[in-house]
Amino acid sequence: MNNSYIDEPMLEAYVYETSQIIETLEQLMIQSEKIGTFSVDAINEIFRFMHTIKGSSAMMMFNEISTLAHKIEDIFYVIRENQGVRYDFSTLVDCILESVDYYKIELIKIRNGETPDGDTASLTDKVNDYLEILKEDNGLKKTKKETETKTEKDQKYYIRPSKKEDSAKYYKAKITFKKDCEMENIRAYTVIHNIVELVEEVIYKPSDIIDNDQSIDEIRANGFLLAIRSTSSEEEIRKYLEKTVFLESLDFEEAEPDWFKEFEVIYQDQEIHEDIKIPETSKKYIENQKVKKEKEDSKQEVTTTTTQSIISVNVDKLDMLMDMVGELVIAEAMVSQNPEVVRLEIESFDKASRQLHKISSELQDMVMAIRMVALSTTFMKMHRIVRDMTRKLSKDVVLEVYGEETEVDKNIIEKIADPLMHIIRNAIDHGIEDEKERIAKGKSKQGSIILEAKNSGSDVLIIIKDDGKGLDKQKIYEKAYNLGLIYQSIEDMNDKDIYRLILHPGFSMKEQVTEFSGRGVGMDVVAKNIESIGGSVIVDSVISKGTTIILKIPLTLAIIEGMNIKVGESRFTIPIASVKESFRPSNKEIIRDPDDREMIMVRGLCYPIVKLYEHYGLQTEVKNYESGILIMVEEDDRSCCLLADELLGQQQVVVKSLPNYIKRYKQVKGLGGCTLLGDGSISLILDVGEFELSNVHEK
Amino acid sequence: MNEDMNGFFEDQEEDTQKGKFLTFSLGEESYGIDIMYVTEIIGIQPITVVPELPNFVKGIINLRGKIIAVMDARLKFNKAPKEYNDRTCIIVIDIAQLSIGIIVDAVAEVINISDDNIVPPPNLNSGGRKYIKSVGKSDNSVILILDCEKLLDEQEIDELKSSND
Amino acid sequence: MRLMIVDDASFMRVAIRRMIERKEYEVVCEAEDGLQAIEKFQKYRPDVITMDITMPNLSGIEALKEIKKLSSTVKVVMVSAMGQEALIREAVMHGANSFIVKPFKEDKLLEVLESLK
Repeated sequence: MNNSYIDEPMLEAYVYETSQIIETLEQLMIQSEKIGTFSVDAINEIFRFMHTIKGSSAMMMFNEISTLAHKIEDIFYVIRENQGVRYDFSTLVDCILESVDYYKIELIKIRNGETPDGDTASLTDKVNDYLEILKEDNGLKKTKKETETKTEKDQKYYIRPSKKEDSAKYYKAKITFKKDCEMENIRAYTVIHNIVELVEEVIYKPSDIIDNDQSIDEIRANGFLLAIRSTSSEEEIRKYLEKTVFLESLDFEEAEPDWFKEFEVIYQDQEIHEDIKIPETSKKYIENQKVKKEKEDSKQEVTTTTTQSIISVNVDKLDMLMDMVGELVIAEAMVSQNPEVVRLEIESFDKASRQLHKISSELQDMVMAIRMVALSTTFMKMHRIVRDMTRKLSKDVVLEVYGEETEVDKNIIEKIADPLMHIIRNAIDHGIEDEKERIAKGKSKQGSIILEAKNSGSDVLIIIKDDGKGLDKQKIYEKAYNLGLIYQSIEDMNDKDIYRLILHPGFSMKEQVTEFSGRGVGMDVVAKNIESIGGSVIVDSVISKGTTIILKIPLTLAIIEGMNIKVGESRFTIPIASVKESFRPSNKEIIRDPDDREMIMVRGLCYPIVKLYEHYGLQTEVKNYESGILIMVEEDDRSCCLLADELLGQQQVVVKSLPNYIKRYKQVKGLGGCTLLGDGSISLILDVGEFELSNVHEK
Repeated sequence: MNEDMNGFFEDQEEDTQKGKFLTFSLGEESYGIDIMYVTEIIGIQPITVVPELPNFVKGIINLRGKIIAVMDARLKFNKAPKEYNDRTCIIVIDIAQLSIGIIVDAVAEVINISDDNIVPPPNLNSGGRKYIKSVGKSDNSVILILDCEKLLDEQEIDELKSSND
Repeated sequence: MRLMIVDDASFMRVAIRRMIERKEYEVVCEAEDGLQAIEKFQKYRPDVITMDITMPNLSGIEALKEIKKLSSTVKVVMVSAMGQEALIREAVMHGANSFIVKPFKEDKLLEVLESLK
């Protein structure tokens, strides 16, 4: 696939819409499975979903995807059109979920600009077999022959709008259609249908264009022949015929009445059709639509209005909008705090600038709010995880979800789905006991996992609580001790510190690797992912009662609270969450190791020092410790001290990424992005995690 | 597989800007940039240094809230650096979805050079040679037309990267 | 020519819009189902409509019938997929001026629209 194509709005729209459909489809499966059947609405919806995927994918030339969708559409067509049809519900759900998984993978490929090349053969076979069995079991195997022989009698087509016979002339015409125009028979039918107003009588060949799709082949091979009797002028008829869509060629000339008679003789049948037969299925379809329409009239009102009031916006545009609002806030500060203006002490100016400040901060809040997305989609995905896990492990677990309407920034949502999935898998795999054990313990047969989200200040808490066997303090302690992760005695540690050990890299409570939660990925990855978005993980547990894991995540990533510092002419911003403290050291606290690396002792612990001017090769006057300032930073329990010239102060900054050109050059170590300061200058945001930190506590 | 779809949405605007070049000077020499790439021209402004980059990448600037990288054309072409003054300009070009500013001594004008006045570059000895796509003639002067793609060439970036490491 | 795109798939609306907007066609509105199509037709009075068939709330064919009652001059192009022959026949009977079969490309769509002038 060509990369230049990737940016096209079409592709974007395709991926967006198809992903949404797939997600909704998956939810629909999980819900339907709970009630053990597909509701009428669900059947209609699935049919429409597959129809949409089929069409869109075909347009994008993702043929495999389109074909699979077509097959499933066929299944649901049969189910929809034949009330009371018997079908194997659970196999069908499995089939569709398998297709859902396939689509997800292909969509990721498409999104990444790769060719969706997943092999659907076995899946398509499965779906095909299902369709065949479905038809057979319900005696729906229509023999195509039947319909063909029936229609063969309908050989002829007359139109007699008026009886003005005298001045009528005879014409013959041969129409050929352009290659690939598709459904030539219906195109021919369109010609006939609309010529009515111009002619007294028309006979055509092939004549069975209405019901026999094989007439397509004949039209393709021999063209579509018409014999016309009309009082309209030759020119008029020619003009009409020339307007035929996808016309390749038209032979049109006046004919002898005898020729017309002959043509007529070939098709002797005298039956006159006033109207064209509508195949049964489509009639029924229309009726269904009608009934449905009447039934749901009031409901429709609501749905139409809601769909109209929501628009989808490209995230890039939102990012841009937020950038601009960030600019506005800065510009506003530049104007209203301009020292020369402030000195004048103009009352009306102060009033106006206060008003401006109020509006711009409200605007900023609003833009932030626009970027917020409810957690519901992410939470809904967990139902599928629970379904698959409980099936494989034959455990009975119910997932309860609360607070799914809680909103967090779009960027953050993307980062929490995987950790959440992992925690829930862990809970089902290792947390919740099997049925026997639960009964023996006097617990209810069915395990429960509660997934809850709620706001707490500028954070969102996501709580995952299971009623399983809980964490074994003693075991965790022993293991951590044996691994050399801790040196204290168990009495010196509080419960939470012990539970926290499971987040430690390299710590895995369960030695055996199971298919689901094993895979070498432990809770440490969860913790790391959550910390990468500025969040934290809290673990709590009561033995044999269950485990609770709380993810504390910030509402947004786009704005951070930062400490601005100065080194020579350069300014840097350190996320406040990483800053432990800052202080002016005295030279005597500095220690040098044999490699001449400098360190500092603070409260008996030894911290490595990174001199920013040296690290980045910057010019500055401030090179000795006593005139500069040390900032102690920490990430993941590892720390170091950064030497800067001076602190400029703390403020909220809008995070921007470095220009691509620079990122392409070099991933500059320790730089996480940049931001604009109040005076319009640029400050570089430090990514503390990339500095040479040392695990101070271990020493 | 999507080859024929690419033709679908081809841009049709390109033609109007054909043959137009923005000319600027570096010392005695006149250079030209295909106007197609140029998004704007701004005066020199404070540049924020980004550490660990090659010397010709001067840093980043704030272009009305958009952060873009700037390179010094003199240094890029291995010419002696010159102090910036009020004639110094930053030409902002947009290429392959990258925006970058190019610092030049002074911007001259926009001229038309017809195709028959454009010839392949001779073997110049200056360091900027490999960034010259062709040579254009306008009145009595010779314009060295820059190859913008090469100016931002990734391969070259990779070379630099490895030599820096 | 002023055009209305009716399709429940936003992808199709984007695709059709992209295909025709650079020509002299102006997309005056889009609708997501048959009911919206009727509503918006009355409001915007487009010259041409591209009409999907399978849509929630009200099918393209039903919408076509209603719209043709409201205007005899409006041109309607049905946007269909393989396997919908019967439905297109019905649409043509009820006044659809032409139809196009998915997947199609720009040239085909433009040819159909051209023929309606």
